[in-house]
Amino acid sequence: MNRREVLQQVAWLMGGTLSAPAVLGVLEGCRAAENAAWKPQFLSERQAELVAEVAEIMIPRTATPGAKDVGVPAFIDAMLKEAYPREDRERYLSGLEAFDAAARTAHGEGFLRLDAPRRLALVQRFHDVALAEEGAAGPQARTLRRPFILMTKELAMLGFFTSRAGATQVLQYVAIPGSYHACVPLARAGNGKTWAVEPGGRF
Amino acid sequence: MDEHSYDAIVVGTGISGGWAAKELTEKGLKTLVLDRGRMVRHGDYPTAMKDPWELPYGGRATQEDLRRHAIGARSNVITQASKHWFVDDLDNPYIEIQRFDWIRGYHVGGRSIMWGRQSYRWSPMDFEANARDGIAVDWPIRYDDLAPWYDHVEGFIGVSGQAENLPQLPDGKFLPPMELNCVEQRLRRVLADRFGRTLTIGRAAHLTAPLAHSPQRGTCQYRNLCIRGCPFGAYFSSNSSTLPAAERTGNMTLIPNAIVHELIYDARGARARGVRVLDARSGAQTEYLARVIFLCASTFGSAFILLNSVSSRFPNGFGNDSGELGCNVMDHHLDVGADARVEGFEDRYYSGRRPNGFYVPRYRNLGADRRDYLRGFGYQGGAARLDWTRLMHEATLGASLKAKAATPGPWYVGMGGFGEVLPYHDNRVTLDRTHKDKFGLPVLAFDAGLKENELRMRKDMKSDAAQMLEAAGYRDIRPFDEQIGLGLGIHEMGTARMGRDPKTSVLNEWNQLHACKNVYVTDGSCMTSAACQNPSLTYMALTARAANHAVDELKRMNI
Repeated sequence: MNRREVLQQVAWLMGGTLSAPAVLGVLEGCRAAENAAWKPQFLSERQAELVAEVAEIMIPRTATPGAKDVGVPAFIDAMLKEAYPREDRERYLSGLEAFDAAARTAHGEGFLRLDAPRRLALVQRFHDVALAEEGAAGPQARTLRRPFILMTKELAMLGFFTSRAGATQVLQYVAIPGSYHACVPLARAGNGKTWAVEPGGRF
Repeated sequence: MDEHSYDAIVVGTGISGGWAAKELTEKGLKTLVLDRGRMVRHGDYPTAMKDPWELPYGGRATQEDLRRHAIGARSNVITQASKHWFVDDLDNPYIEIQRFDWIRGYHVGGRSIMWGRQSYRWSPMDFEANARDGIAVDWPIRYDDLAPWYDHVEGFIGVSGQAENLPQLPDGKFLPPMELNCVEQRLRRVLADRFGRTLTIGRAAHLTAPLAHSPQRGTCQYRNLCIRGCPFGAYFSSNSSTLPAAERTGNMTLIPNAIVHELIYDARGARARGVRVLDARSGAQTEYLARVIFLCASTFGSAFILLNSVSSRFPNGFGNDSGELGCNVMDHHLDVGADARVEGFEDRYYSGRRPNGFYVPRYRNLGADRRDYLRGFGYQGGAARLDWTRLMHEATLGASLKAKAATPGPWYVGMGGFGEVLPYHDNRVTLDRTHKDKFGLPVLAFDAGLKENELRMRKDMKSDAAQMLEAAGYRDIRPFDEQIGLGLGIHEMGTARMGRDPKTSVLNEWNQLHACKNVYVTDGSCMTSAACQNPSLTYMALTARAANHAVDELKRMNI
């Protein structure tokens, strides 16, 4: 049963007092862009390509879609443009360039020209170092001034797990559960995967 | 009767105004209901059915959103799903002599759309507290005066909950309780066995069973998206419940975009004649007249109207013979408690998203317990398994990140206190006539904060939470105490308190202005003390009681 059918059934169960068309009307809202041919608004083409490749390493296509499949690069570009203050944006860009420079220092070539194992190793190294530093600084996620690599991870995760594929194929999502079961065996909680919910704030 | 004359005027359509509208119209009064904000009909909830991927920016606020909602953002409510319910703080300024987090929603239904739905009765102890402690002034009513009205409003709005037979938290007429999950059930046993304290499921204004008298409302669908507005009408809001009831009588005229900024005083009759209204869109001024006026514009909204209504009889604000108008600002102080990781239960999960948590009723300064502060606090909390966000802090990337995200994380439990704030005369709002908003109206200036009693209480709120979680055997216990200003509880109260003596209080035992009996104030401004329970249910009961009193007094020609 799809969501439209569920809604119609629920409206019927409620004696039709909430008309199904009224409920369905609000379903036709805009969809998040998952457009393959997007043009970056904040990043340059080269920066956007680098961010896309880093995000795909963090959340790759497997049996399920990956970061690029669900539009994470465009999401990160839009978030940088609209959802961050200038200080964070500038730190992100300078961190991105420092990351690319580290690739050249280590291997003589920019990140985008490295082979897959070297890309993966560089991302993992930057990530693990930054995570250790953040962990030492204490749990203050709301005011964190995260470096490029962790901002990319945070935004890739946010964009991916709130996307349709992330929420419904990697996690599980039910728009209208209809009932609450407080304590069930894991395997019988839907398909046993993590329920998709919106994050309550920074994480 | 012309189009500007009514039997009654109700100012505001939130928790209290909706109740005044329902009771007055059902008793046959032709009632004008005014709200300063836009119209919101039940079902006009634009984000209610949006899936996560339909919200831009992953649901987060943009920089422009934060610029327009700088105050609202202090409460973490400015998201793509809910920002439209919170005022534009640039257009609606106020002065903070001390930090004060004034979280407002200007639209029909007010904050009844975004409220937390927790619905607790006050106890006999709470109405006796000021007299017993020699604090401020005594409440002019007792629990028994309000008990039948608690019955009345619970029966109408629907409150799910579990009877616990506690003197400090009287049971109500409950719909079936929501369930505690397995971790919460075990914690309930630990608190009972080790501390003699109660942990119960939150008492919440959600329909867990149908209500025959409100066929427009459905039962809870366990989406936990309540703050967006519920298209099923499953939780109580004015829009889903009281305003439709008032509309059905045919006696209600509802006008949105109507900013009431002044009461009109008739010196010869020693009564209020009506209200002056400014149209929020056109700026046009209109006067509406009525035999009785209910101010339900919120604690600071009603205080503003009274302070702004000056005359030779009331040079310091309407009904302000006592000088207490705007004083005694209260809230609940919070953001203090503890959380912890729970070992075990890895083979257990839940299905459905419960829009509710657990409640630990007050246990301090009860019976033989004596602390170095007055009054007490309750806790609200919950247990859940961590989701994918936990992986932000793990050195996991790639395919294994996706695999771990799909596996529910460990259980965590958290609990935060809601503490009583005492009524202090010098915690107050005043009218600052040197600053004007875009309508040319003066703005409120806030000068209120926590004092020694609250700060001492917070030490217990933090350490007790940690101690209870420790007794349950949990790990990684993290006590917390955020530095907050007043206001974040969004339980503001006290600016026109009830009392017996006109020299020391603004309202009498029926919520009438001592000095002008055809004006009733029944929102949070009437509160004489704050207790530690969420106050909305008490506002509803007081409003229903006052409305029925007004109808009787009109019949007796007393007002």
